Amino acid sequence: MKFKKAWVLSASALAALVLLSACGSGNGNNGGGSADTGSAPADEPKVELSIWHNFSGDDLRAQTMRGLIEQYVAAHPEVKVDVQAIPPDGYKQRLKTVAAANEMPDLFLSNPGSMIAEFYNGDLLQPIGDLLEQYPEWRDGFLPGAFEGHTFDGEIYAAPVNLSPSSIMYYNHSLFEQYDVKVPTTWDELMTAIETFNANGITPISMGNKAAWVAQSTIIGTLADRVTGSEWFLSAVEQDGAAFTDPQFVEALGYFKQLADAEAFQDGANSIDNTQAEQYFIQGNAAMTLGGTWTLTNLAATASEEALEQVGVTVFPAIPGGAGDPNTITASTGQGFAMNKDVTGAQREAALDLIYTISGPEAQQQIAQSNTLVNYQVEVDPAKVTPLFNKTYELVTSVGFTPIYDAYLSSAGTEAVNNGLQELMLGGDPETVAQKIQNAQAEAVGN
Amino acid sequence: MITSMRSGRFVALALLPSLLLYCFFVIVPVFWSAYYGFFEWSGVGATKGIGLQNYAEALQDPVFWRALKNNLIIVAASIFGQVPIALVLAILLNKNSLFHRFVRSAVFMPMVLSTVVVGLIWGYIYHPQFGLVNFVLEAVGLDNWTRGWLSDPDVNMYAVAVPIIWNFIGPYLIMFVAAIQNIPSEIDDACLIDGAIGRKKLLLVTLPMIWNMIKVVIVLCIAGSLKAFDQVFVMTGGGPAQSTELLATYMYNNTFNIYRYGYGSAVSTLIVIISMLMIGVSQVLMRGKES
Repeated sequence: MKFKKAWVLSASALAALVLLSACGSGNGNNGGGSADTGSAPADEPKVELSIWHNFSGDDLRAQTMRGLIEQYVAAHPEVKVDVQAIPPDGYKQRLKTVAAANEMPDLFLSNPGSMIAEFYNGDLLQPIGDLLEQYPEWRDGFLPGAFEGHTFDGEIYAAPVNLSPSSIMYYNHSLFEQYDVKVPTTWDELMTAIETFNANGITPISMGNKAAWVAQSTIIGTLADRVTGSEWFLSAVEQDGAAFTDPQFVEALGYFKQLADAEAFQDGANSIDNTQAEQYFIQGNAAMTLGGTWTLTNLAATASEEALEQVGVTVFPAIPGGAGDPNTITASTGQGFAMNKDVTGAQREAALDLIYTISGPEAQQQIAQSNTLVNYQVEVDPAKVTPLFNKTYELVTSVGFTPIYDAYLSSAGTEAVNNGLQELMLGGDPETVAQKIQNAQAEAVGN
Repeated sequence: MITSMRSGRFVALALLPSLLLYCFFVIVPVFWSAYYGFFEWSGVGATKGIGLQNYAEALQDPVFWRALKNNLIIVAASIFGQVPIALVLAILLNKNSLFHRFVRSAVFMPMVLSTVVVGLIWGYIYHPQFGLVNFVLEAVGLDNWTRGWLSDPDVNMYAVAVPIIWNFIGPYLIMFVAAIQNIPSEIDDACLIDGAIGRKKLLLVTLPMIWNMIKVVIVLCIAGSLKAFDQVFVMTGGGPAQSTELLATYMYNNTFNIYRYGYGSAVSTLIVIISMLMIGVSQVLMRGKES
């Protein structure tokens, strides 16, 4: 029987170990919230701050952002900053998890639109308007509409540290010259260009829509905005006086289907990665591609200088009789740092200071020089960035911005749009697709 | 000397830790997830009990049925692809010569690769512009057969089934080889004496002797195919327009892309139920064959 006891003991020890290690990971999450408790007594020698962001990569932008935070840490020995860099893929899930447990960090990077709205609606944030009042020059340096995605009830909750247009039309100069095609500014010119390029064995528009957000973020947002105007879209998102079954949206889907039917995209576009499609374009196999700032970074990182010199940037063509402004690009107005509602007193002062260090005028300058577009007026030294970045910067400062679909739609609505566009490319019917999108969004908003 | 009763107890005790771990990490979550299926839950925040609505919604969703149909295509491809190929190879390659061992290792190789790598490799093989399949078809003059193998909904389900077959022949081959080599040599001698050679021996002796192994393999095939996920997820993500959606990718997309944890849990519970049903049916069918 001794034998048996020993086994029971070791088995229960094992079970205990499993339970303990489970607790261990729980404690890890508490770390983020521990700063809250440290802030209350005034006689604490140090202020503690926790900040979460997703600049975990090795690209220039991430390095710059981390550098800015380190700059603050070095200059403020009296503040103990707990920095968590979480890889972008799991970032939103991690934040949602700690939000549920009420263990939010003091400051965290948030997307504008539906992501920050979720935290705002959960009553987890406080506005940072007083910081903007304190530095009026800084506030006035932002581009028009910069705060739109971060404003609720007239109060500003975050200041953008980048600008992320998602539907810049990149085109290949020499292909357009070689086949004597005009860079399209209207729908008819676009259709002519598609026809000419197809006749000559050149893919008109390179698109990698395997991860189905691509057609949605880079094409339909802009295309539909040209037809419906932004106001209609925002009402349809709220399901307030507009629905995705409205004729103008069905018409917009019809235009997209026209593109697919005219074989504007390369064969099998739905099974190709976005990066593969970008490579296909830069290698001169396709005349155009639509993309965002990520395209800029990817091309700059992989293509030769000669290849990059061929690339021009413009906006998607106008659509006859459309309600939207054709000189626009869909853009996320930029991620910004939002503040936990529970941050008060000296801790709040420190947090505002930190926000200013990483998103103030000097910071914006540094971010821009890491080849990242900012939603702020900066003088970029052309020697410090790539020529393509310069062209793109000039373009985005001369156009208006319209909402990106997935930044405003519910997750279910976004998924329905993504799948619907693939369905249209496979010969689907615009009205059926519109109905599916409407159903998904209506159900999500109803909840 | 340990008495048999004592050794029985010892075996039970020795199994206890793994049994506990198994319960804790497999059995409990299955029931847990069935329970979550009764709620409207976005992963965080408040849950709302909605009874059987999630289950009803799944059963009414045409995409769920399409996913089930696609899963059945994978099941069929496994049973009628993997099992015969593995069996034929095992019968041809059951000697332990260097050549036979080499071919067996070659067939087993894909099994050692990460399924994600398999998905990526085949993604390139099927690539519409520079993929091997289209290249070979063009080279032999079958230009009009070329297509976007993973994006054309008429063929993409069969296209994704091929790498899955290729990936998992190896272990079944090894199991069949082991079963064939376990047939006692006395039986071989008896066959020789009785004149059962060639096809006669195969059909009347070898196959019946390894029939139990074939049954095991078929059950493993069904179970494996119903949880097929990784290769398809890497190659197509269930798209385009959900045409290659499997039950597992359908569950994943609903849970982690749309944040419907309750619905995803309901779907995964349905997957467990469907798997058990199918394995039960296959057992009954095969028992009938035996008698």
